[in-house]
Formats: sequence, structure tokens, C-alpha cells
Amino acid sequence: MGKKLLCVLLAVLLVTAVFAAGKKDAAASQSTGEAVGYTYGLDKTFYSEQPVTYSMFFSDASWYPMKDEWKTEGVFAEITKKTNVTLDIRSFDSGDYTNKIKLDINAGNSAYIIPKVYEEGPFVDGGAVVAVSDYVQYMPNYMDFYTKYNMANDLDTIVRSDGKYYRLPGMLEAAMQDYTIMIRDDIFKAAGYDVSKLEKDWTWESLYDILVGVKKYMVSKGMCEADDYIWSDLWCGSESGQGKGGNLLKLMGASYGVPSGWAVGNGMQYNRDKDEWYFASTSKDYKDFVTLVNKFVKGGILDPETFTQSDSVATAKFYNGETVLMSVNRGQYQTWISGLDAGKVGKGNYSVYVTVYPKGTNKYAAENSRLENGVMIAEKARKELGEDGFIKMLRFVDWLWYSKEAYTLHKWGVEGKTFQYVTDAATGLKVKKLMPGFKCGGLGIGGAETDEDIRLKWGFAGGNFYYGHTVAEMGDNFIPVIQDYYARLGKYRESRPVNPPVKSTEDENEQLNLWTTPLIDNVNAWTLQFVTGQKDISKDWDAYVASCKNLNSEKVVALINEINKRK
Amino acid sequence: MRESQGYRIFQGFNRVLMVLICIATLYPFLYLIAQSFSSESAIIQGKVNIIPVEFNLTTYISVLSQGDFLRSYKNTVVYALCGTIASLFFTSIVAYPLSKPHLRLNKFITPFIIFTMYFGGGLIPNYVLMVNLGLKNTIAGFVLPGMIGTYYVLLMKAFFAGTPQELEEAGEIDGLNKFGIFFRIVLPLSKPIIATMVLFYAVGYWNNWFTSYLYLDERPMWPVAYYLRTIISGASTSADPGEVTAEKMQIGANIKSCSMLLMALPIICVYPFVQKYYVQGMMLGGIKE
Amino acid sequence: MIVYRKILIIERKFKIKGTAQNMDTKNQKMQNQGNQLTSGRGAINRRMGMAKHLKQNWQLYSFMLVPIVYYIIFRYVPMAGNIIGFRRYRAGSSIFGDEWSGLKYFKQFISDQSFWRAFRNTLSLNIVYLLFRFPMTLIFALLLNEIRNIHWKKFVQTVSYLPHFISVVIVTGMIRELISANGPLNRIITYFGGDVTYFIALPEWFMTIFVVSGLWQSLGWGTILYLAAMSNISPNLYEAAEIDGANHFQRVWHITIPSILPTITTLLILDVGGLVGSGMAFEKVYLLYNPMIYETADIISTYVFRMGLDSGNYSYATAVGLFEGLINLVLLTIANVTSKRITNSGLW
Repeated sequence: MGKKLLCVLLAVLLVTAVFAAGKKDAAASQSTGEAVGYTYGLDKTFYSEQPVTYSMFFSDASWYPMKDEWKTEGVFAEITKKTNVTLDIRSFDSGDYTNKIKLDINAGNSAYIIPKVYEEGPFVDGGAVVAVSDYVQYMPNYMDFYTKYNMANDLDTIVRSDGKYYRLPGMLEAAMQDYTIMIRDDIFKAAGYDVSKLEKDWTWESLYDILVGVKKYMVSKGMCEADDYIWSDLWCGSESGQGKGGNLLKLMGASYGVPSGWAVGNGMQYNRDKDEWYFASTSKDYKDFVTLVNKFVKGGILDPETFTQSDSVATAKFYNGETVLMSVNRGQYQTWISGLDAGKVGKGNYSVYVTVYPKGTNKYAAENSRLENGVMIAEKARKELGEDGFIKMLRFVDWLWYSKEAYTLHKWGVEGKTFQYVTDAATGLKVKKLMPGFKCGGLGIGGAETDEDIRLKWGFAGGNFYYGHTVAEMGDNFIPVIQDYYARLGKYRESRPVNPPVKSTEDENEQLNLWTTPLIDNVNAWTLQFVTGQKDISKDWDAYVASCKNLNSEKVVALINEINKRK
Repeated sequence: MRESQGYRIFQGFNRVLMVLICIATLYPFLYLIAQSFSSESAIIQGKVNIIPVEFNLTTYISVLSQGDFLRSYKNTVVYALCGTIASLFFTSIVAYPLSKPHLRLNKFITPFIIFTMYFGGGLIPNYVLMVNLGLKNTIAGFVLPGMIGTYYVLLMKAFFAGTPQELEEAGEIDGLNKFGIFFRIVLPLSKPIIATMVLFYAVGYWNNWFTSYLYLDERPMWPVAYYLRTIISGASTSADPGEVTAEKMQIGANIKSCSMLLMALPIICVYPFVQKYYVQGMMLGGIKE
Repeated sequence: MIVYRKILIIERKFKIKGTAQNMDTKNQKMQNQGNQLTSGRGAINRRMGMAKHLKQNWQLYSFMLVPIVYYIIFRYVPMAGNIIGFRRYRAGSSIFGDEWSGLKYFKQFISDQSFWRAFRNTLSLNIVYLLFRFPMTLIFALLLNEIRNIHWKKFVQTVSYLPHFISVVIVTGMIRELISANGPLNRIITYFGGDVTYFIALPEWFMTIFVVSGLWQSLGWGTILYLAAMSNISPNLYEAAEIDGANHFQRVWHITIPSILPTITTLLILDVGGLVGSGMAFEKVYLLYNPMIYETADIISTYVFRMGLDSGNYSYATAVGLFEGLINLVLLTIANVTSKRITNSGLW
């Protein structure tokens, strides 16, 4: 009896030992392989032998709302087919997404995978998210891109005071200046301005002169009244502009070297020569910048309602021919075109030109970061899945966001079903094209009214997955107009070197947050009042600077420079 | 009755004033109604006032045939129904004993519930609680936070305190226990206050958006109020990609007013008919003389 | 808030009447069941009476069981969460915070200018709103009372109650439409030669918008209590005055108003006690405001919401919330005591 028991015991021990050893090897095998229970690897499809489910937050944009079909036959179903992983989606309306995930994460109710994160700061200090930098060595696709395109410096900008980073960012091969200005080329040319010849070195001042000329022309032809505005923009109002002045102020501010609009952040700018940070929002550059914007408003060119109106009001004015220029990005180009067709302007009555927008005091494009919004992983996942299960999930995340195969899948759909490869006549290369009967607003690919939009119907090309990757991959859906724009952009403009990170401790972060939230509210309020002319820049500038000082602007500068010296 | 000249003038002036007040009260509604039936170009050109210009039903048809809106409408009906029934039940069964002065524990329980009118847990603790109870994205999650309204309890309590004791005594003599007395004697007598409560609670649930903002994440669960808010905050119409058609532009121009009116419609239709009940309920002291 | 108090006043009125009835009942019960305790007995009897009391009244008490549990779970348990105003809260770890931080957050917000701005805004918005709403409601009620034609009176009342039933989402939506750049208000302005004004972005206009829309929503509804009080006045008083030769206005001045004076006084005092409270206005302000008008539009509750969610600092936000709750409680207690002293009725 005893002997038998001993044998069984030994056998069990043996098996356990082998099993354990086998497991360790699996986890240790880095770049490819067979791990126990799943396959993964660089350019390999992730596949889990047992079906597994991971919870994921999802930002549900109301202009392509999530439908049940996405789970039964659309993007989520396709992912499951390929990987045997089911995503348990917890979706929130995109307008409330950030607030809602903050609420859930802070209440200890986080999903495992958290995409579409722009700012991970508030979550890090709470200890609710994993320091992913500790685990990236397990992610082959991520590491491959990281090494190939030298992302170390860029990643350094999101490293925190403990030397780790907490977000898996969308990584771009090159910064893409996505937003720019589209003009009604027919009107400009009729007024005597050929922008394609002017845009190489034009500044905002020269744009102003051009617009004054265009307006004079329009008034003379009865196309508008003397007190009408010919520029009324979107993405700057109280909603999409987030009350910061949105897109336009970001573009114009960047060209003056100051963060503003969507990019206002904490208002700080870095002086490379002195290795010092300063509060850009009260600097001379900033004063010049707001004076410039105000010039457009005062001169009757730029509609001050730009900074309050909703996007649809702005686009309606453009479609009806009341305004002659408007901001655009590569995703919306097609939409603007169809709007002009449907509006009072009418098909065939116009031509547009996507400009390389003007310079300011520098010739940097506003976008200089090669990092996009990214994915956070909840600490909860690590606790509940165990170390091995956690690594397995990370490898799935690696596949979904960083592999070429997944990128094609969630962007274009299924080969043979929604897209196919064709040989491009001009270049002789194989390019992707949507199959007949399909179109995609998200990719900027138009079609007939009866065509199925693969984003609306199945959730492909959706914003939760679709970012990062190489220039070639990003551009595989670009229509010639957009490709031409990027070519010109690359020729005429440069990328500003990235600012170094500020590695603050938890307490310092807390203090900085408490100071900067009201401070930047104040900056935004004054900025908008300056640009719209509600406050007089020459008379009230000093009061503005004093108000910022009152809200601890100098303390913020002091603290940040102190942290900077520490590095 | 002799009436002075001054008084007659006053009456005339009063009449005019009341008419003005009615107009001022109704004007925003008339404006919305007009806008919801007008064409896009008329709206943009600012031609619309209280009469529709270039009458069309495009946006209404679109909204009503849109699955999302109808579903949120249905949700709201369900939530309001469940919520009102639950609220009515629990509010009345706590208000009734509280109205009995001979119950000694009342002097602790009444302040116990009144205190909650001034002090609360704040956003996070309440949210954490609901999450831990697993109530997110459930009907219960929407109903429970506001299910028993303290001031409504006090309202019902005051009403019950005024109901004649003799009838309850009679019931006791007939052998009914307290439950019987309550359900078969007191409640049927309390029609005015019940009607009031139904109206107040139902309207409260119907109009509520913040609770759904917190606890009902998924689009299929949204009530009309929250759906309306996402439209008004501009997210829905923000640079709608894909084709822009003339129809889409029409819809974009007045979807807000159409949705607002559709949401307010049931309440506008119902409340005048229940008016005598809630006014009575609020008046309590007056009629029971 | 306001309405709660009104109900309690009426309730109090009731208690006076109800007590009389209950006294008779009690006496009857004594005869029927014997052993009924009244408050006149000694302490020992009372102690013995409690167990008996519970036994006798278990049915009624059992009615309250579930609601009391509800209150404990959904009202009092979250209240305990307020402790994070004194402790450092970290996401995902204990909901009662990780370590004590004492008064750190309180000190922080006391030195925060934006908090005081929110405090100031709360006070000024409430005060101005009260200054308009209070007399206007009273006058409106008096005017309504003068309407002779029953049908016309009912019609006006019905119309005036309508805005009260409209969701705050719709009300703020209406406001945005009406004050937008090509909305009716601006059209009137430009018609008379003025410039288009972007009201939603101008801090100096927020108070007007807030007060006017508040009046629109609540004026009609607020008259109900006054009209109730007025309907309580015995017609004999009016007749006697008429015989004495008083004209209509004199009757109103000398009879109507003094008779409802207790109601007026109580309401006024309690409204004053609620001046620091910003909870009721939260949704409306939140749906209307934007960063350009924080200067005048940000109130304590929206400030707390923003600081809590946006900067993720829940401990800080809770500390501020606690502070507001405390001041509210103190003010309302003072108001209640004052009200009771002057008019014998109050909240508790």
C-alpha cells in the first residue's frame, strides 16, 4: 500500500516538474513560438487553443455607432475567427468615453484592455494600470517596430518618474500632419491667387492678405456682403474644440512655437538651448499668436463664432458656399466633397485644394509626435489572469494593434469579401482596393448610395484600433489628392524635435494637476476672449499675465524646472 | 358688490399681464415646434419664428424610423413604469407608519431619513457601491438611486396623517390586520396623493439623464433623455463622414428640436389631466378642512 | 430643496390637527385594549413598554423594514465613503483610501482661487435668483388669486405649470437654440441695429440666463403653496372687511397677506438657509457651461465634478463636497431655528 502511494506521489511530482519546466520555457521564448495553449509571434497569427475572453472598453462614436452585426459578422467576429479570442466589449459614447473610463477605473471596475487613451497620467498615480514597459519584451510585433524605427526617444516622452511607461502608444513611422486647410480653389484663382504656387513659404500674414483680396473679389461679384465672414471653421467650438479653441489654435499656435487649442496641455514649452521650461501661454510668442488670430477676426475674415459653434453649423456654411476655406483632415476630405456636392454649391461648380497650411515664426508642422493615443492594460488583468495568462493577453494585444495582419483586418476587412489586391496602373505595385459594392467613410473612400459602408455595417476602419504603423500602411487608402498633399507637406515643412519628458513623482503630479487645471482654464478663457476681440490685447495683456501668476503659473514653472534638473 | 374704477382697471391690466405670461411661457415651445417642421435653408437663414417655413416632415420621419431613437423611447417607458411602481410602493409603505404618532421609533426614524436630504455620499462612493452590487447597465441600476424620494415620503406622510382615524378603527374592528387596513382602506382613500406621486415619480424618471449617464453605458440601454443629450452636445452631428446628402443636411438642422419635442410630448399631453390631483396633493391643508 | 421644505410646513400644520384626532383614538384604544402607554408615565414603565410596544406594533414597523434597509445601503453606506476627504484615495485599491492625509486636501482647496470663485458664484447666483423669484412668485400668486373667471384662471395655471415638467436636458437645449447666433434673440437684436452677441460664451450674461430660465421654469409651480394658503383664509374675514368699507386692495393688504405671512416667512428663511447649496443647479449649469464662462458659471458642485473626474483627484473633490455639505447643514439649522422661533413652523 505504502509503495503504491509512493509511486503515485513520485509520478505526480514528476509530471508537475515537467509541466512547470515546460511552462517556464514557453514564457521565456520571446519572439515566436508555441507557448502552452496558444501561438503567437512576429508575422504570425495569434491563436488560442482554448477560446478565451478578454474585457475591453470601447469608444463608441455616434457617427458610426456600434451595431450588433459587428459582433456577429463584423470586425469583432472576424477577430474571434482568426484568434479564438472573444472581446467582451464595454462601450461608452465617445463624447463621454474619457470620463466614463475614469469613473470605472477609479471605482475598481476596469476592463482588462483600455484603448483610445490620450493621457494616462490620472490613471497611473491611482495604481490601476500596469507599467507595460516591464512587459514589452514579450510582444514581438511591438518590439520589431520599436527597433526598426528607433522609437526609443519618442517612447521616452511618456516615461514617468519611476522609469517606466504605462501606455502602449500607437507608433508611427513618421509624424503625420493630419489636419490642414482646404480652400475653394476656383474662387481663389478667380480672385487672382494660385495657392499651389504660394503655399511653399506663405505665412499667416500672407494668408490674411490673400483672404482680404479674395473677399474684395467676392464682394465685387456679389458673392457675399461686406460684413460677411468668409472663414468659419469647425473643430474649434465648445464641444469638439473642448473650449480650448480646438484645431485652428493648435495649428496656428504651433507655428508660433506655443501650445494652444487642442494641444494646450499645461501651457509649458521647452527651450532647447537653455534646457529650461517656460510658461508659453504668457510669453511674447503667445502674444504675437493671439494678435495674429485676432487680426483675422477684426479684419472681418474669420468668424468669431468659430470658437463656439458646433461643427455642423460650420460645415453647412462651407457647403452652401458662404465660406471659402475650412479645416480638413485626411479622413474628412471625402465628406467635405460630398457636402459641397449636396449643398448649394453643387456638383461640378467648384474645385478644392488641400493646402500645406501657412508658416508662422517657424516652419514646423504642428504634429511632431510619432506617438498616437494608445492602449492601457488594467492591473486587474494581471491579478486575475495570473502572470502567464497575462502575458498571453499581452501577446494578443500585440497582435491586434501592432501586427500587419491585424492592421489590414481591422482596417480593410476580409480579403475577397470586402477588399482585394489590384495592380496599380501608375506604379505597378499591388494596392488594396475595396470590392465593388462597398465604400468606407472612415477610409475616405466614397461610393454609390447603394454601396455598403464597411465601417457603418461591420465596424472596420474604426477609431479604436486604427492608428499607428508605417507610412506605407497608413497611406494604403489614400486617394491621390491626399497622397499629393503629404508629398508636398514633406517637402515644405519640418518636424519639431520632441520635448523631453517631465518625470514627476506621484505627489508632484497631484500638485501640478491641482495647479494646472484652473490655470489652463484661465488661459483658455482669456485666449478665446483675446482672439474674438472681447478683450483688448494691448490694454488687457498685463491683467491676463497677472491672472495667470495669481493661479500659480510661476510655481508650476519652478516645479517643472526643478524636476527637469533632476534628470 | 360695488367695484371701484381702480379695481376694474386693475382687472383689465391683470388680464393683459396673464396673457403676456402665457405667451412668454409658451414661446420656446412654439419656436421649437416651428423649427422642427421647417426646411434647412429657412432655419439657417433665420427665417423661422413661430410658424414653420417650408413645412416638411423629413426629420420627424427620420428620427422616428431610426432604431436608436425608438429603442431609447421604449427604454424610457419601461424604466419609468418599473420605477414608478417600485417608488410608489416603497414610498407609501414607509410613509404610512411614519404618519402614526403613537409609534415611538418614529422620532428616530424621521430624522434618520431627513438627514439624507442634506448629506450624501458623493459621486464616487455611490458609483463604487452600484458597481460592487453589479447594478450597472440594469434597470435596477437606473431605478434604485432615486427610488425613495425623502421629500415625497414626507408628502405622503402628511397626507396619511390627515386621513380619518375612524375608518381605520372600523377596519380593525372588522378583524383586518395592519396590512389589510393599509391596502384595503387607507390606500383607496389616498387617490389624490397616489396620483400626485405617480406623476412626480414618472416625470422624474422620464426626464432623468444623469443617472443614466452614470450607470447605463451601452447604447441599447439609453433612455431618451441621455440620447437627447448626446445629440444636443453636438457629438452626433460632428463632421458626419460618408456622404452628405441634402436629407442629412435637413436633419442636421433641426434634429435637436424634433427630438426635444418628441421627448416632452407625453408629459405635455398627460399633466393637464392630472392637474387637479397634484394641486390637491400639494395643497393638502386647504381642502381637508 | 425649496419644495421639500414647503411640504414640511404643511405637514406641520397637519400635525396640529392630527394630534387632536389621535388623542381621541388613543383614549379609545385604552378602553379597548388597555395597557396603552401615554407620555405621562414614568421611566420604568416606558422601559417595560418598549418591548411590549414593539410587540404590539410589529406590523407597522415591519412596513418600514425594507425602506430602512434601502436607506442604509443606498444613502448611508456611500456617506461613509466621504472619509476619503481625509485619506488618500487611489483608484483600484480600497474605497476608503489608503493612508490618512489629514487636512491636506482641505488646506489645498482653501488656498485654491478657483474654489473661492466657485463659492462666490454659487452665492451670487443663488442670491440674485432668490431676490427675483421670491417676490415674483408671491405677486404672481396674488394676481392669480384675483382672477374671477374660473376657467381662465385654470388655463393660466395649467400653462404656467408646464415648464416645471420639462427635463433639464430639454430646457438647456431650448436655451441654446434661443440664444444662438441665428436664434430669435439675436435676430431681434440685429433687427434693431445691434451686433450679434454670442451669449453662450460671455461670462457677464450667464447670471441673466440662469435667473431668467430659472424663473421661467419655476414661477408657476411656486404659486401652488401660496394659493393653498390663500384658499385657507376664511371668507368671513373678507366679508367683514367689505362691510367695514375696505376696497379690494385694502382687503388684500390687510387680510390676504397677513394671513399667509407665516408661510411666506418660513419659506423665505429656509430659502436663505439654502444659499450655499449648489446641488440642485448642478445639472443645469453642467449642461450649459463651457470653459469660456467658468468665471461666472462654475459653481461648487460643477467644480467638484470637474476636479474629481478630470484631474482624478477624488480625495480633493470629496473634501470640497464635505465642506459644502457642512456649511449647508449649519446654515439650514440656523434658518430652521429662526423660523421656528418666529413662525412656529420649520423643517424639524
